[in-house]
Amino acid sequence: MVKRLPGAVIGSLLPGLLLCITAAAVSSEPQPQRVRDGLVAFYDFSEADGTVIRDRSGVEPSLDLVIERPESVRWLGTGLQVEASAVILSAEPAERIVDAIKRSQGLTIEAWVTPASGEQSGPARIVSLSKNPSERNVTLGQDRDAYDVRLRAESTDRNGNPSTASRRNVVVPQLTHVAFTRTADGTTQLFVDGEQAGAGQTTGSLASWDASHRLSLANEVTGDRPFLGTLHLAAIYDRPLSPEDVQQNFAAGSVALNPPPTPAQRNALAFREQIAPLFARHCIECHDPAIRKGGLDLSRGTAALQGGDSGVLLTPGSAAASLLWERVAHDEMPEDRAPLSPGEKSALREWIDGGAAWPTDVIDPVIYRHSNRAGEVWVQRLTVAEYIATVKAAVGVEIAAEARERLPADLRADGFSNTAYNLGVDLKHVEALSQLAEMIVDRMDVLAFAARFSKSQSLSTDDTMRQHVAKMGMWLLRGPLDDREINAYCGIATTVSSAGGDFEQAMRFILEAMLQSPRFVYRIENHRGSGEPRHLSQFELASRLSYILWGGPPDEQLLEAAERNELRGQAALEAEVARMLKDPRAVERSLQFVEEWLHLDRLAHLQPDARRFPQWNASLAADMREETRRFFKEIVWSDSRPLADLINAPVTFATPQLAAHYGLVPAGEGFQRYQLPVDSGRRGLLSHGSVLTIGGDDASMVSRGLFVLHDLLRGTVNAPPPCVNTTPPPTKAGLTQRGIAEVRIANQQCGVCHARFEPLAFGLEKFDGIGALQSHDEHGNPLRDDGVVLFPGEAEPVAYGSSVELMNLLAASERVQTSLTWKVAQFALGRPLVAADAETLNDVHRVAQENGGTYTSLMTAIVLSDLVQKTATETAE
Amino acid sequence: MKSRAVSRRPVSRRTMLRGLGTVTIGLPFLEEMQLSRAAAAEAVAVPVRAFNVFFGLGIPAPLQQEGFAGVLEPLAPLGEKLLVMRGVDHVRADEKGINAHYDGAAAAFTAAPPEGEAKAGGASIDQMVRRQWYPGGLPPGMVPTLVGGTFFRRSRVCRYVHSFNPDGTVAATMQEKPRDLFERVFGTVATAGDAADESEQRLRRSVLDAVVDEYRFFTGANSPLGATSKARVSEHLERIREYEQRAFALKGKVPGAPEVPASSRLLHGGAADPGGEGIDITLDELTAEWRLMAELYALAITTDRTRFGSLTFLAAGERIRLTGDYTYAGRTVFAFDDAGQRKRSGSGGCSHEWWHDFDEKKSNEQLRAHAHLKMREVAYFLSLLDTPDALDPNGKTILDNALITVSTESGDGRHNDVKRELSGVFHAITGAGGRFKTGQLLDVQAEGLDVYNTMLATMGVTQRLGPGNRPFTPAESIIA
Repeated sequence: MVKRLPGAVIGSLLPGLLLCITAAAVSSEPQPQRVRDGLVAFYDFSEADGTVIRDRSGVEPSLDLVIERPESVRWLGTGLQVEASAVILSAEPAERIVDAIKRSQGLTIEAWVTPASGEQSGPARIVSLSKNPSERNVTLGQDRDAYDVRLRAESTDRNGNPSTASRRNVVVPQLTHVAFTRTADGTTQLFVDGEQAGAGQTTGSLASWDASHRLSLANEVTGDRPFLGTLHLAAIYDRPLSPEDVQQNFAAGSVALNPPPTPAQRNALAFREQIAPLFARHCIECHDPAIRKGGLDLSRGTAALQGGDSGVLLTPGSAAASLLWERVAHDEMPEDRAPLSPGEKSALREWIDGGAAWPTDVIDPVIYRHSNRAGEVWVQRLTVAEYIATVKAAVGVEIAAEARERLPADLRADGFSNTAYNLGVDLKHVEALSQLAEMIVDRMDVLAFAARFSKSQSLSTDDTMRQHVAKMGMWLLRGPLDDREINAYCGIATTVSSAGGDFEQAMRFILEAMLQSPRFVYRIENHRGSGEPRHLSQFELASRLSYILWGGPPDEQLLEAAERNELRGQAALEAEVARMLKDPRAVERSLQFVEEWLHLDRLAHLQPDARRFPQWNASLAADMREETRRFFKEIVWSDSRPLADLINAPVTFATPQLAAHYGLVPAGEGFQRYQLPVDSGRRGLLSHGSVLTIGGDDASMVSRGLFVLHDLLRGTVNAPPPCVNTTPPPTKAGLTQRGIAEVRIANQQCGVCHARFEPLAFGLEKFDGIGALQSHDEHGNPLRDDGVVLFPGEAEPVAYGSSVELMNLLAASERVQTSLTWKVAQFALGRPLVAADAETLNDVHRVAQENGGTYTSLMTAIVLSDLVQKTATETAE
Repeated sequence: MKSRAVSRRPVSRRTMLRGLGTVTIGLPFLEEMQLSRAAAAEAVAVPVRAFNVFFGLGIPAPLQQEGFAGVLEPLAPLGEKLLVMRGVDHVRADEKGINAHYDGAAAAFTAAPPEGEAKAGGASIDQMVRRQWYPGGLPPGMVPTLVGGTFFRRSRVCRYVHSFNPDGTVAATMQEKPRDLFERVFGTVATAGDAADESEQRLRRSVLDAVVDEYRFFTGANSPLGATSKARVSEHLERIREYEQRAFALKGKVPGAPEVPASSRLLHGGAADPGGEGIDITLDELTAEWRLMAELYALAITTDRTRFGSLTFLAAGERIRLTGDYTYAGRTVFAFDDAGQRKRSGSGGCSHEWWHDFDEKKSNEQLRAHAHLKMREVAYFLSLLDTPDALDPNGKTILDNALITVSTESGDGRHNDVKRELSGVFHAITGAGGRFKTGQLLDVQAEGLDVYNTMLATMGVTQRLGPGNRPFTPAESIIA
């Protein structure tokens, strides 16, 4: 841990020597890394020369500083000594930083300094975002023997007073770490050398922050509040660092070290990012534990190093000595598939030459199904369902029928229709959003709604209208509006006013504009940053929580919690999530998940051959859909059972019609709960008509098997090779669907893949195309329901004797349980899951299982994980 | 620095007539505009017209005394056609609690204090005249009242709208973009029955404008979104523009109308008035847009598409931070740099502050330059009505025949003496077909209400502005 050197020692050391030592050098322990999440400006003075101090935050555009009086400063080894009044100023306004902080309403100002004396006052500006001595956004300064921060907010004057001051006697002329944090609810803290030295309240919005202010160090912009001493490091964050974060930065010392990765680390990284996906795509299809073509298993490091029938294939450190490389280089592998690209070959060779690190236990091909690009952050347009729910929650208008009629349906992509990259916009969306906005406002009591936010009915006074718009906008657009937005919406009011309109009309048009605005139609988040993931702002998090858990916007309680910066910390978040999961909207959202996952919408459009299935009709289809919804609700909500029970729970819900279809004795009118006997062959979702119809009229083993493989086992198979006839032969006397499947499995070319999934459907063979149980097919062939399951990644299949045993086997499978986690997580995030998510998902799954493996435990684990708490960022293009 | 407005070919009535294939300039232009026969028959006489021209912030009374040798210099070429009235006061318009910029602006052309924040205290001169002379409405197809302007302060209506109905409501929707004004004048032919729909349509369009601005922000340089998300929102923006084209496209323009002007590049709507903090603008940007607006407005008058209305060059209490070299008559008058010269940003760096600083004992260099510029631009508009293109059947120009009242909001900008502030408010009027004196700078020393009522009476208007029980003291010195 970095500690300040004792004063006696300091006194005996030359200042230059002290600086060379730096705080970090005191300890022999590995130096902690600095916190980078939320970093928006960073100066480490490593230039050591010249008049420009580079912003090394990595956030574009960088805000470099210029030393305007170079004669006043002296470069030292690890800092800039300010010997006389200097002006160190950003060439441009700090607009990016101000905007970021206004968005988050929280910030941190941090500096490592060595004050020249404890007598400086003014306060002497250390870091300042200000215009002149009396007008500022924020200033960290020294006021004699205390540090002092003036921050402009609603509760302060333009000068940022009252300020937040440290206790007295903390300023000493030696290397000191100072950090100031401000949360969105106005709580301020000052830390000196990692310990809290002051606290206060600077409440109210930072909306009045002026984006035209420039950033200055060691003086006021106007040059009349100098700080003398040495600057070692200065940083600004657009979030309040936690006390632990401050401690970490203090421990990291005054010299920011980011050592480059070692060759071994680079090699391990290359495996994760390039080689594992390469093996998953090109090799594991044949060289996994089950197939082991040539006796080679390339899914595990130990197995790969052991080699195959041809002996050792991989010689770490030497591609030239590796048979694996030789076969790939000469395009002999992959067999019957396209050769590796030059780039892939190059990566493979470099990885082997670099030591062939294998930092993971096993390569699971499914996590590489999508490239990491699929995990890119796409702004999330509200789905039709979310739009309806958002309108209802925001303004109390039920617009479902009109919205579904006008808005184009959201198309499924990667199994769900809330997949962000596929939520495009067409002209029809724009037209519909415009029409719907008008309809919604028509149905509102506009004056009553407006009165929720202000008693004023003043049409065009600067401040009242602005405040009115700001409050209304915060509710409708799920977070604070900035000045630009307030201006824009107030402009509508003045336009209405200048056309002779009244307050109600102005509010009406403002509402219409807000209902069509990007912040209503999309879930806007800040993606700009250093390129590293960052914690969401409180309001961003509030929206994520509500749309994930409810499929709708945050309620007042959630927004207020965000405003008070209370959506942080495990306990607080868990409490908030627990509250939200008790809300009926959470149930509705979960039903959306199951409908999407199992694609229940298709039931309304199924048209089985009426000659073969005369009992099929629209109401039976609707019953099947409702059966699944009720079953899901029973397991997940009424009984709070583990999600795995969805696979084998011996219970269902059916109307008399559906019960009869299933061969059950109808128990009464409407939907009734049925305990399923063993001889029904039914257990859980897979035996629902809603799922079994996936196989089509012929109860396709391929379709059903692929569903189980993909949706329950997260298995992968490649597409059939070109020119393969994929039309299955018809069944006939003596040849059942299973018989046809077994022929395919036995085929050398087809079997590699079909062996992975068709046996999964053997246990469902007794269910016909629309889910009725039968013992013989239409040709009189007896049907079976025994088979084997080959779990992905495993070498040996596991046998089962009946459909019920199959369901039990699946439900008990860790693979199936993790698959359910992945499915729910994918729906929650609205994007395909990628390799970069795998580690976090493993943690999510573990935590959820430890808490019972229920839907609520899983959702809690998901929303508390970095998958939801953080977002990827990009630097400027 | 050469203004874009100067280099751009002005929109002319003659050009428009050539477009129609006419050989001579038909005056008035009603036939060509395909108006009704009734309108054509009425056209043999010079039509009665009345327009209010407003400029923001005013000219301090002491500077008015310098006549054309001072900041009024740009009016000098039109001096023979104008009556400059000094000593007109609107003290009665002072409303406690509302700043005098607004009181004075509301009083301009109405002589009444504002009624709240979105209404004037009564009718404006142009509307009084309109009601008197066209009690049954204007000829069908004509724009009954045209309100336009280039301005950037929007918080209260009277800051920038200057045509009001007797109940104080605005007489027509403000057209603040040249293109909007063009469409209002030369686009669809308005009839009495569709006025409400047209107004609604315009407001709805302003909603879409605000929506477009929001989407534009999220696709712009300061967007918080990443590249892929930005691309998605850009697609959305493109679809909105497509929708805008289809929903609000100009349905057609009257035959021979000039080309649709390019979209404005200046800020409009709420963005043009960021909370009263002011905007940065160059002299070129300001004058280019204003002059296009002025030309289109003048064309609307010379082609007899409108006879009443108001035009605003900068709002009352306008807040801009102007930069650019200002030249007049071949000489450099001043180099504008409000923020730099004031060493302030935000509202403190705006030209408005020069008015607060006015001191007749000092040079007031910056204020003078701004006031001079305002006069140049007002003169630019007035001169468009005094060209061969603007001749009426009586052989005189529209500037001679119409009642054009030029005014502003205050006779002082210091906010420390309401009486002084609302006294000596600059006024200039045209001769209105020989009804009023011209070619003089007259110290009227009268209440604005009496001056306005004198104008109305002289124009043949029977109704009077102001309280009914107030004795009317005509300002006879202005009558020809």
